[in-house]
Amino acid sequence: MNDIALKELLYKIADDQLILGHRNSEWTGMGPLLEEDIAFSSMAQDKVGQSLAIYTLLHSLGDGDPDTLAFTRGGNQFQNCVLVELPNGEYDFSLVRHFLFDTAEAIRFDLLSNSSYEPLAQLAKKIRGELRYHTLHANTWIRQLGSSTEESIARIQASLNFSLPFAMGIFEVSPHENELIESGVFAGEKELKQRWLAKVEEIIHQTDLRLPDLNAVEPVLGGRVGKHSEHLQPLLEEMSEVFRIDPTAEW
Amino acid sequence: MNSLDPRVNRLPSTRYPVPNEPTAPLDQFGTFEVFVVQPKEEKPFQHEGIVHAPNLEMAYVLAKEAFTRRFVCVSLYVVDTTNVAVSPMTEGDVSIYQQIEDRPGQAGEKLSYEIYHLTKRGKQHVHAGTVQAVNGPDAMVKAKHQFNSGKGICSVWVIRTKDIRFTLPDEKDLWNTLPEKKFRDASAYKGGDKLSMFLQSKQNTSDHSGHSDNADQ
Repeated sequence: MNDIALKELLYKIADDQLILGHRNSEWTGMGPLLEEDIAFSSMAQDKVGQSLAIYTLLHSLGDGDPDTLAFTRGGNQFQNCVLVELPNGEYDFSLVRHFLFDTAEAIRFDLLSNSSYEPLAQLAKKIRGELRYHTLHANTWIRQLGSSTEESIARIQASLNFSLPFAMGIFEVSPHENELIESGVFAGEKELKQRWLAKVEEIIHQTDLRLPDLNAVEPVLGGRVGKHSEHLQPLLEEMSEVFRIDPTAEW
Repeated sequence: MNSLDPRVNRLPSTRYPVPNEPTAPLDQFGTFEVFVVQPKEEKPFQHEGIVHAPNLEMAYVLAKEAFTRRFVCVSLYVVDTTNVAVSPMTEGDVSIYQQIEDRPGQAGEKLSYEIYHLTKRGKQHVHAGTVQAVNGPDAMVKAKHQFNSGKGICSVWVIRTKDIRFTLPDEKDLWNTLPEKKFRDASAYKGGDKLSMFLQSKQNTSDHSGHSDNADQ
């Protein structure tokens, strides 16, 4: 298998983690209660740490060092799905995004723990605990808010309806899909989406929420090939603001 | 509102109407007590603090990040504060067990209760053992006979075992996380060295400027 297929896979995973990690970190100091602020900030930090681990793998394959990859690329070079770059909005949307994305991410790394690309398989095993917590956190909140008051159910439902087209974009297939599957690097987006849907349905069925018919949902695609919403570039500029002041500074 | 923090300026105006009626003064989440084991499996659970949460399961989820983020931990559990029976507190070397009177044997189904000792004010309650009893006061008497080592124990807590949200065996890997996290600790940033260098360079500059601060006055 050539490096292009592998790198494409690594970039989309790392970029998803970095961008969502940065987005979620925007809640730091503003969470709905202190304990949740701590938990959500910690998970944001986990995501940035996971992206660092994958940028480091890319560096070992000959690409730039992690800071260069994270802070100097333009928006059209990022391969994250559009879901993760959307502004935080209200906490209901942030929680629903966290639920939809992290469910997929946990399954993705579970599949990758059997990857023929050994460094990725090892990383998947290392971060299993973090991902386990992220899904426990997300599932618990969705169960809680998806079945408590009229307002909480209505809010989560509205955010779920809004988020699903973007969530479908997580599974945008790569032109190298078959190559990745045949070489045993990754089981593929189709397999991932199927498992994701089963898990999402399982949790939603434990609440008063209703999962819209996914066949009627038009996926928001393009993120994996660098076509983003207007929200990504301002995020990148803010994220890299300090780095750009002095790229040679040692931390 | 216009803030220097761009995140604040981005906060959306809420789509939902603010209720006209003020919320009740005590409309807030209850508290849950958090117990943690660290760093070795054989160590007893120790009380660490509280979290606010709407229910036991959410308390467990929030306690994990609030109390076990920065150090090695192997297990955690939480219990609603209202389910903790608390003895009075003693002073000095007086053991609280001296004040707990024996009670006539009580009828009723025996349940499992967890016992916690505070050996010194300012420390945390530590798990001492488990007793079978018909209720909380009965459990305290049972604890007096089973766990009273004679040392100064200034306070006892009793919790019915079934009120505790334990870490499930398959949840132990929650603490199996990425170890390379030095960036979380202040010690990973060599700020002290840089500060000394900066102050040194500043000192050198003022030495060469030809006059001291006193001369300016």
